Amino acid sequence: MEIIEKKADSFVILNLKGRLDTTNYGELEKKIFELLEKKENNIIIDCEKLDYISSSGLRILLMGLKKFKANKGKFVLCDLQENIKEIFEISGFSSIFDIYESQDEALKA
Amino acid sequence: MKIMSVDDEPDMELLIRQKFRKKIKSGEYEFVFAENGLEALTKLIEHPDIGIILTDINMPEMDGLTLLTKINELKNPTLKTVIVSAYGDMENIRTAMNRGAFDFATKPIDFEDLEITIKKTIEQVGILQKAEKDSKQLSAIRHDLKIAKEIQQSILPKKFPPFPNRKDFEIYASMNSAKSVGGDFYDFFLINDEMLGFVIADVSDKGIPAAIYMAVSRTIIRAAALTGLSPDKCMEYSNDLLSKENISDMFVTVFYGILNTKTGEIIYSNAGHNPPCILKKDGTVVETELTHDIVLGIMEDAKFKTKNISLKPGDTIYLYTDGVTEAMNKKNELYSEKRLEKELIQYKDSSPQEIINGIISSVEEFTKGAEQSDDITMLTLKYNGN
Repeated sequence: MEIIEKKADSFVILNLKGRLDTTNYGELEKKIFELLEKKENNIIIDCEKLDYISSSGLRILLMGLKKFKANKGKFVLCDLQENIKEIFEISGFSSIFDIYESQDEALKA
Repeated sequence: MKIMSVDDEPDMELLIRQKFRKKIKSGEYEFVFAENGLEALTKLIEHPDIGIILTDINMPEMDGLTLLTKINELKNPTLKTVIVSAYGDMENIRTAMNRGAFDFATKPIDFEDLEITIKKTIEQVGILQKAEKDSKQLSAIRHDLKIAKEIQQSILPKKFPPFPNRKDFEIYASMNSAKSVGGDFYDFFLINDEMLGFVIADVSDKGIPAAIYMAVSRTIIRAAALTGLSPDKCMEYSNDLLSKENISDMFVTVFYGILNTKTGEIIYSNAGHNPPCILKKDGTVVETELTHDIVLGIMEDAKFKTKNISLKPGDTIYLYTDGVTEAMNKKNELYSEKRLEKELIQYKDSSPQEIINGIISSVEEFTKGAEQSDDITMLTLKYNGN
């Protein structure tokens, strides 16, 4: 997996590329803690290039959601591929995350 | 540090005790004395914690070089020998070094120099002792993991057929962990004579934390289910308990169904788990509908729903974890639901055990040469009717 970070307005956008699973979820965990330490408040996880997410990956996103919400911040997802959408549907995660169709929509929210 | 001095000169003991009296008094050094190689070996057995041996070469009974050979045979990496011999004896000293002595000091002894040598040796022995301790700890952890695996396997029902006098249904299940302990589990139990509860679940992690979480969730779900709660109420109850205790954002996906063995009716809730498939007698495969419930353990007070599906005699419900469909081959392709469905169709007339064994070999064939990355767990329940 590759994580590309960029800033837009008050948001930090993390573009995830490839597979997020047990072998690499630690990288995203580390990045999320880094952003928390930098007192960043609003995060967009752009999943356009994310091909696969395992339950360990979902767990890290859940952790991010909880931590940023606790700071009254935002932790939103956008541009999910069909198979990722399906995993969010099956797991019921689509009901606890704010999910947007595109980065633009997420930025406006 | 326990140090043994081996020397046939009678005043050696006195000399050492005097020169190192401060270190001996403070407990930093402890000395053991022997007068020849043979006595040294005996003392080594009495004091297995000796870390350094200072030995002369020319001694009666057994000389220093023979002693060194014997010590080498002990294969104790944390025991180091320092040769203490006359400068003129350089040839023997070289032989000793070649036989694995750690260092040497010359006689007459310069005690300042000897102390530096001892210090350096202690450092080295310290490093080795730590490495040895770490490695012992590691093997203790491995041992614990092995026991954890045994415990985990032993809490899953593994006797098949589990209800040999029941002809109205057949059940089989298996779990293969990717790591030595996994986070998947299955379970089944008769709630009463005509209600068979069955569960498959996947904890969002692997290794020891997942195994603990798995044991807890399995116990909670089973206890709740056995009171006769409907699947949705059972999920609600289990979810509340798991959410309250959750510290590391772990969660578990659970499918819980109850088969009415008289009618073939199944009532189920699906808390975020891959939808099981129904393999019909006519060879068609259908996915069970989602109830769109959230995984257990992350949201207290979540509400759950139930759905029904009906099995006709000869139909089988096949439950699995994503370790099956997301098994990856060397080309990074997933086994996929499509392949699973195709494979299942072949087994329309097979027993639950044949189905599971068939899918296991099919997944193995597919992933040949690639490492298993997730637990692979399956449960099949065939309804025979009355």
